[in-house]
Amino acid sequence: MNYVEWLRVRNCLRIVAIILAILVVLAVILRISLARQLSPEGWVAQMTTDPRTKVTHSVLADGTKRTVVDDVPERTRVVIDDRGAAGKHIVITEPSSHSHNESYSHVGNILSSRTYGGVKTTVIDTNGSVPLLYYMAFADIMGLIVATILAAPFAREIDGHLEISLTKPCPRERFALGTMAVDAVGILVSSLLTIVALYLCQLLFETWRLDFSGENARGIVMGAALPVAWYALLCAGTTWLCRGYGAVLGFAWPVAIVIAALTQLEPSNTVALVVRDAAWVLSRLDPLTYVKLGGMSSATNDTYGGMGFGLRLSIEVLLLVVYGALAVWQWRRVEA
Amino acid sequence: MSIVTISNLRKVYGPVAAVDGLSLEVPAASVYGLLGPNGAGKTTTFKCMLGLARPTSGEILYDGKPLVPATLERIAYVPERSVLYEWMTVEEHLEMNRRAFRAFRPARALELLASFNVDKRRRARVLSKGMKTAVMVALAFAQEAEILVLDEPTGGLDPINQRHVLTLMINEAAKGNTVIFSSHQIGQVERAAEQIAVMDHGRLVLQGLVDDLKGDRKIVEGIFPDVTFSLDGIANDSRVARIDRTERIVRLLVTSGADEIASRLGSAGATGIRVLDLNLEDIFMYAVAPQDATTDIVTKESSS
Amino acid sequence: MPAVLTVDPRSGVPIYLQIIEQIKRSVALGVLQAGEQLPTVKQLAIDLTVNPNTVARAYRELEREQVIETAPGRGSFVRANGVTESPKVAAEIGRDALDVALREAKSVGLTPEDVRNLFDAALARWFGDL
Repeated sequence: MNYVEWLRVRNCLRIVAIILAILVVLAVILRISLARQLSPEGWVAQMTTDPRTKVTHSVLADGTKRTVVDDVPERTRVVIDDRGAAGKHIVITEPSSHSHNESYSHVGNILSSRTYGGVKTTVIDTNGSVPLLYYMAFADIMGLIVATILAAPFAREIDGHLEISLTKPCPRERFALGTMAVDAVGILVSSLLTIVALYLCQLLFETWRLDFSGENARGIVMGAALPVAWYALLCAGTTWLCRGYGAVLGFAWPVAIVIAALTQLEPSNTVALVVRDAAWVLSRLDPLTYVKLGGMSSATNDTYGGMGFGLRLSIEVLLLVVYGALAVWQWRRVEA
Repeated sequence: MSIVTISNLRKVYGPVAAVDGLSLEVPAASVYGLLGPNGAGKTTTFKCMLGLARPTSGEILYDGKPLVPATLERIAYVPERSVLYEWMTVEEHLEMNRRAFRAFRPARALELLASFNVDKRRRARVLSKGMKTAVMVALAFAQEAEILVLDEPTGGLDPINQRHVLTLMINEAAKGNTVIFSSHQIGQVERAAEQIAVMDHGRLVLQGLVDDLKGDRKIVEGIFPDVTFSLDGIANDSRVARIDRTERIVRLLVTSGADEIASRLGSAGATGIRVLDLNLEDIFMYAVAPQDATTDIVTKESSS
Repeated sequence: MPAVLTVDPRSGVPIYLQIIEQIKRSVALGVLQAGEQLPTVKQLAIDLTVNPNTVARAYRELEREQVIETAPGRGSFVRANGVTESPKVAAEIGRDALDVALREAKSVGLTPEDVRNLFDAALARWFGDL
């Protein structure tokens, strides 16, 4: 019954996949061009396999796997402590006269280097797994874009196709819910594809581990709810239109941003106060309000504007359901 | 035995009643033609029949029951204008119908598309108006529906394809299905329809079997010796639907009993009395023309 | 046989009457022989592009006038005594034509004497060397 919507989603996902594929290809090109600059793991691994070096493995009391690589002729020693999910702690001691000078500018690596008495000591801490939260931001943006592209499916039907969509042997409610479900799947798949693409890029440059714990898990759940709630809002706002829905979709983002900005107004006079309060009320209707944007830096802080995560998620889901129901209700009343 | 019954249908858009108290019954396994000038309410009636518009009052019953989503399984619809998705190919439209309607036969649809010379791989946006109509016709007739509702099903088609659609309609009737269609091509209606209804300004102005309407309705024409004459109560005869006079010539539109009224006209003093046949176009024109218009309708000498 | 039948939907004469008249004419002229099978209702409807019920009505009427007979499951056939009927059918056709002519003549005010003169002239024209 919702074959047409499925085709729309498929066409959209094709474009998303192409864009992400280009991104990955660029990353591969970048990686190849930087290949000469090996990461510490690169040349350390080389050292490990060099037959001239002496490699010792041991396990420390706390379970850390320690590898010591000694290149005696070069007077270079590398101690690698593999802490599993917590990453690696690498200490490199080498003569400062001919030391490796790669730039270890990887995200998440903490690097310090000291030269003293002809010996250069470099300490590298790979932060271990990459918090998924970093990817969720991009996945959310992609999700919101795809949500806006797929939104207003009912307005598109009203624009000249009702004689097809309303004469199928299917109750209107079922058709509407099916349409929105197909679009929601499309949105979530596009977010997933974005994460996969970014992960592929990560594999080229970083460790393969991902961190799903705590804040990251919350980010995933909210990241699934946000674009779908935004989509539901756009549906509710356009189902009664047939021509002007493009304008609504185009203005939705800027208007949301302006309202958010207006909530930050300094109440220097009565007008500003009224505007700020009105904007605050309107912003309660915006799914974007309940998401912590740019909160990547705080690791444990899970409150925003005084609301806990549970409350924010509940409101987000509530908005999703209410807007979706509004859209279905309007679709029920449509006449050709 | 009516498969579709419309009772006192009224549909109001703002201040205008597009359909104003329409009642008709469509017998099963027949071809029913709906005629009317533009804006008469034919398309609105179809929309109400299919649940695309909600009647302001009145009801439409299928086999005595109101329309529910499951009923649409048995109804195929060809709208008046193209409703195809411009960005989809013809094949994709076929697939859409295959998934939506249980009885849809893709093989039949492909046959029909080929007979109309439509390439199934093309996107709807590049098709001509006639081809779009052909696609909608193919999709509808491949649905194996009991009831076909066709709003101007020959729009944009060349004469060969128009005849092809007519043959398809006649085939459906022969198979025992019901076809309800509207057309401005009276010749098509005359061939294919067994029964017609004429609408004007949202109301039913005429209905009946085509053969009976043509057989019974005649023009009785007479010429009086001078301008002043009396029709002696002929005007009060219930079978006289309309009187047109131009100077000494009088033309009476009668719904039956033409010969009898002709002889009465002779008794009233008229000469040169003729009884003229009406074809469906004439009948239609008379049905929708305002009473006081002098008609220049061409009629043929009755041979019966 | 379909080639002989044509109908004019634009004519004021109902289509079923046209079909009846043409089948009778075919019988009268011997184009349709006794015992010959007529097309099925559905086939004739498609050949002529007219409503099947119109054809069915024509067949019913022809059966009532005993020009054809329908055997269930086998089809419709020209009646055997339709052969002896053909002069009768021809006479019907002739009489109908004369009715039309005389009615028209009367309506323009010709007397029976005028009509007889015109008729003799017409006979000479059409049947001249008989």
